[in-house]
Amino acid sequence: MIQIYAVGLNTFREAIRNRIFASLVMFAIAMLLLTLAVSSASLHEEVRLMKDLGLFLVSTFSVLIAIFIGVNLLYKEIERKTIYTIMPKPIHRAQFLLGKFAGLAWVMAVQVAVMGVVLALQFWLLDAHFGVEMVQAVWLAYMEVLVMVAIALLFSSFSTPFLSGLLTFGVFAVGRFVDRLATLQLGDPSERTEAQEQISAVIRGVAKVWPDLSLYNVTPNVVHGAPVTWGFVGSATLYGLTYAAVVLLLACVVFQRRDFI
Amino acid sequence: MSAHPALTVDGLVKTFDLGFLGALPGFGWLAARLGIKGIAHRVHAVQGVTLSVEPGEIYGFLGPNGAGKTTTMKMLMGLIHPTAGSGTLLGRPLGDREARARLGFLPEHPYFYDHLKPQEFLEFYGQLFRLTARERRDRARALIDRVGLGYAADRPLRRFSKGMVQRIGIAQALINDPDLIVLDEPMSGLDPMGRKDVRDIIFELKQRGKTVFFSSHILQDVEMICDRVGMVVRGKVVSEGPLHALLDVPSHRVEVVLGDIDDAVVERLSADAPSPTQVGAQWRFAVSDESEVGAFVRDAIAAGARLVSVTPQRRSLEEVFVASAQAGDAP
Repeated sequence: MIQIYAVGLNTFREAIRNRIFASLVMFAIAMLLLTLAVSSASLHEEVRLMKDLGLFLVSTFSVLIAIFIGVNLLYKEIERKTIYTIMPKPIHRAQFLLGKFAGLAWVMAVQVAVMGVVLALQFWLLDAHFGVEMVQAVWLAYMEVLVMVAIALLFSSFSTPFLSGLLTFGVFAVGRFVDRLATLQLGDPSERTEAQEQISAVIRGVAKVWPDLSLYNVTPNVVHGAPVTWGFVGSATLYGLTYAAVVLLLACVVFQRRDFI
Repeated sequence: MSAHPALTVDGLVKTFDLGFLGALPGFGWLAARLGIKGIAHRVHAVQGVTLSVEPGEIYGFLGPNGAGKTTTMKMLMGLIHPTAGSGTLLGRPLGDREARARLGFLPEHPYFYDHLKPQEFLEFYGQLFRLTARERRDRARALIDRVGLGYAADRPLRRFSKGMVQRIGIAQALINDPDLIVLDEPMSGLDPMGRKDVRDIIFELKQRGKTVFFSSHILQDVEMICDRVGMVVRGKVVSEGPLHALLDVPSHRVEVVLGDIDDAVVERLSADAPSPTQVGAQWRFAVSDESEVGAFVRDAIAAGARLVSVTPQRRSLEEVFVASAQAGDAP
């Protein structure tokens, strides 16, 4: 356990001391502050717009930053050969990978928390209430980030950052709408062909194993005042952690077989 | 002293399947069989390396570029999986965690986490060995001083020169006080003072009963510190043994140094010992066959030369190295 902690702490330190990460976070905060100006310009819709745009930015920027760092994490270790001095130590490759995940999860927790605090400050400036549903929404955005970090690590355990980034972003983009694919039925019910039926079944099958990221987008509920139950938050959290754990397990299997040339 | 060798390698083989489709299972083999190049090809980096290192000795692992030294070391360190063969570290199979806890390793051209300062860096490696906070702190401080980096303790590693990186790399290899230290080109990038410091560290480790297995291109260093050497060429060990045994093979060459000699005599003696070299007022002749030395010296004295010395020549490690490389390259 101490090895996972050591690798995680080192990953956290490296990211926090990295100027690119600092620039990305500053840019994300700047964009968030821009929502204050946009919201203030709207007539009587300031708070609604702030919730909508604010949560969109927290979620999207966090995922993009997570993908950017995640796909580079293992690649950098191998490319810069820092891994050459780690692997001969009494540490299992899986421990190293889990340490990298833990470190990035920690970094992203700070990043999401900072954006959440900035968003809350803007509510305070507008004299609006930053309710529990906003906290729930930010928490779920973080859960989505954890799933994406695990997926980025899986792809980067065997491919280049560019390809890993492309694949991870693809999973993210489809994952946001996968709930619609889960019930997809191609063609008109009255004149549906067998081919359409089979393709629909395949898409529905893929949708079942694809990460359902729509669970983590509760912005419509928050904006329209529909409650988000703690039960839902709990099950979405459990789903995210389980999904991340399975993906990490796969990543460990791939990473275990890899040669560090 | 331990009963088993500190390190053994038995028929270690590594074949890389490279190219666009090379990584796909079976493709490299198929491409090699069909003679297809480009999309997939095989590289036989190590072709059955076998050697053994005894506890407490300094073993030099030599070979020209691309001979397979680093690949062999990477297999020993668990960085790449052998295609065939086996090995042991400190009496335990490769990859064993207990053995790795007693192992130190410095890779070639090391690069480290450059956001860390030396103390943080070494303490991080100490954590990987489950050292206590106090052990980590004390050992890190002592090692920073030992490798001569006390003056740079507050600098992040990204501001280190190549030589400083090499020094901190040696420090990380020693953080767990290992019994077996594997160093891949430890003198690389160091100035003469740095090389001497590394040699001193290696000697000190030997005096403390540690085993050192290292590769180097700097034969002078190898000759100065190794008990035994193994030479690898094209992925195979072509010669191995105690350094004195490799070097004491009679070369049949004798160096004759003469003084008080004029140019005409030099020219005449050059017929028997070509390409003499002048050092001050003396001339050095290399007589290639020791049976001809008597006649050569008699001729020289008869011509008025003063005999300064007659020295049978020992083979240099460089000559052994070149001869081994040529033998290994022969079809």
